[in-house]
Amino acid sequence: MRDAKKLMLLTGLVLVTAAALTACGSSGSNTSTGGDKPAAGEKASGGGEPTASADDVPTIVVREGEPVGGVQKLEYSAGEEVRFRVSSDAAEEIHLHGYDIAKDVPAGGTVEFAFPAELEGIYEAELEGLGVQIAEIQVNP
Amino acid sequence: MSFLPLAHALSAREDLPVPAWLFAWGASIVLVVSFFALAAGWRSPRFEQWRRHPLGAGLSRVLLGLPAQIVCGLIGVFLLGFAVYAGLEGTEAPDRNFALTFLFVTCWLGFPFFSAIFGDLFRPFNPWRAIGRAVGGGFRAIAGQRPAHLAYPEELGRWPAAVGLLAVVWLEVVYGAGGIGQDPHAAAVATLLYSLYTLAMMAAFGVEEWCERGEVFSVYFGMFGRLGIFGARDGRLERRPPLAAATSWATIPGSVAVVLASIATTSFDGAAEGALKDPITNLAEWFADQGLGLTASIRLTETIFMLLCVALVAVVYLLGVRGMRTVPGAPSFAKLRSGFAHTLIPIALAYLVAHYFSLFVFQEQAQFGYLLSDPLGTGTTDLFGTANSGIDFKVLSANTIWYVQVTTLVVGHAIGLMLAHDRALVYWPDYRRATASQYWMLAVMVAFTCFGLYLLSVANG
Repeated sequence: MRDAKKLMLLTGLVLVTAAALTACGSSGSNTSTGGDKPAAGEKASGGGEPTASADDVPTIVVREGEPVGGVQKLEYSAGEEVRFRVSSDAAEEIHLHGYDIAKDVPAGGTVEFAFPAELEGIYEAELEGLGVQIAEIQVNP
Repeated sequence: MSFLPLAHALSAREDLPVPAWLFAWGASIVLVVSFFALAAGWRSPRFEQWRRHPLGAGLSRVLLGLPAQIVCGLIGVFLLGFAVYAGLEGTEAPDRNFALTFLFVTCWLGFPFFSAIFGDLFRPFNPWRAIGRAVGGGFRAIAGQRPAHLAYPEELGRWPAAVGLLAVVWLEVVYGAGGIGQDPHAAAVATLLYSLYTLAMMAAFGVEEWCERGEVFSVYFGMFGRLGIFGARDGRLERRPPLAAATSWATIPGSVAVVLASIATTSFDGAAEGALKDPITNLAEWFADQGLGLTASIRLTETIFMLLCVALVAVVYLLGVRGMRTVPGAPSFAKLRSGFAHTLIPIALAYLVAHYFSLFVFQEQAQFGYLLSDPLGTGTTDLFGTANSGIDFKVLSANTIWYVQVTTLVVGHAIGLMLAHDRALVYWPDYRRATASQYWMLAVMVAFTCFGLYLLSVANG
């Protein structure tokens, strides 16, 4: 009899906690994604060069071997087209890992990447010669 | 100011964070499983007394006999030597050099994963043990007597292995900003230095003694091997129930430090990319502003956070142990502390799988593909015709990875609870008291598992 009561109490406790967790979990995620985006935008604008150009294709600006405004985060859904540009003050080879796409950018020039987002995960783009990360491409399912 | 981007050694790919809804489901299931475990627990120990099933004598002779020992030892020594050679002579590109993938993925992750199923797989291939035994055998043949050893201090136990485990991960993950986690040459040098140290310790204390207590990799891989179903005893191969051999693992002092270090270092490595990314960046920038160099700032900061992770994990466990002491009839604090250490092995394994299994699956394609054919990464050799193969990242979808991660943590949690419940019945033959003691271990494990889920859900936050 006591055991049955205890068990019911426990089950109730579990359900309440589970409900609370579910609530916290979803609200927590909202605030975290909400908090992330302005931070990234802040970084980008604080660094001087804006990330989006006139036609809305994000451009990563590289100066003196570093991405202006820190490592840029670009997010896509699987199946979309990933499209971004890299402009650099020095000639560099830009390598997007995972997708394994490498393109050269001439000094003072811009190069465009455009390909379907078919690999899920977070992949680094880096200046191959210097081994410096300039962007991370996040592809969600 | 800008800070040094923490580049990844081998794989320039990260898992997506577990979505919030899956995190919530995972955590809820953990709680449900936990309370069912409390309510429906068995009343006499099940894992503590177990029966060995010796396998055929012929099979044992073939697999455990001297010829097999020599062959396995030679394979181990050859692979170690080859990894060092590739590290020293091959390309500096981390992902193109055999050494890093072989040491940090194939061995460092592969041995725990497979030993947890099949039993300790490292022991027969342990290159240092093979060399030590060969030297010992030579000594006996020449001198006509066994080499004399120092007596190993009993209370030192597995502490050297626990500290060594922290050191290895520190070198790989923290010092790795330009160090051995990314630099095949540095990894090879570190491996050579570790070999010298290990052989010296074996000479001082005896090969088997050092492997059982001090040698980091033997102790670490052997710990996971205790979960597995095959073992060897007195030259006889045996099958045993899964998990059973774990019950006698922590009898050596310091064992609890090894398993806690394992959980803490995996947590730190996961958190450094996610939950701790901002704090690490901020503190590193603060140190840099104080005039410390950039690399030094990052290393100092990460060292601090890694030690904090160790402290946190240890405090949670010790609080749980302290709590169990309050149950009438409890054994001493020290006995409880080591008595429940083995119950954390499944959780340590679950952490490893959750954090690294995708890396393992992807990187092993490289290991058995282009790294096998072109181990030095020179671009001129093609031993097996696979030098131009790549990694197919499509073999695991984001959803598959998420489900494996969450399921592993939940299953590891459930197994940990089973082992803890079982051990409690040994210390408290009275079922009610045993259950009362397990509220504490349950809290510890819920904390670890939910912390693990949390780390996954904020990965790369």
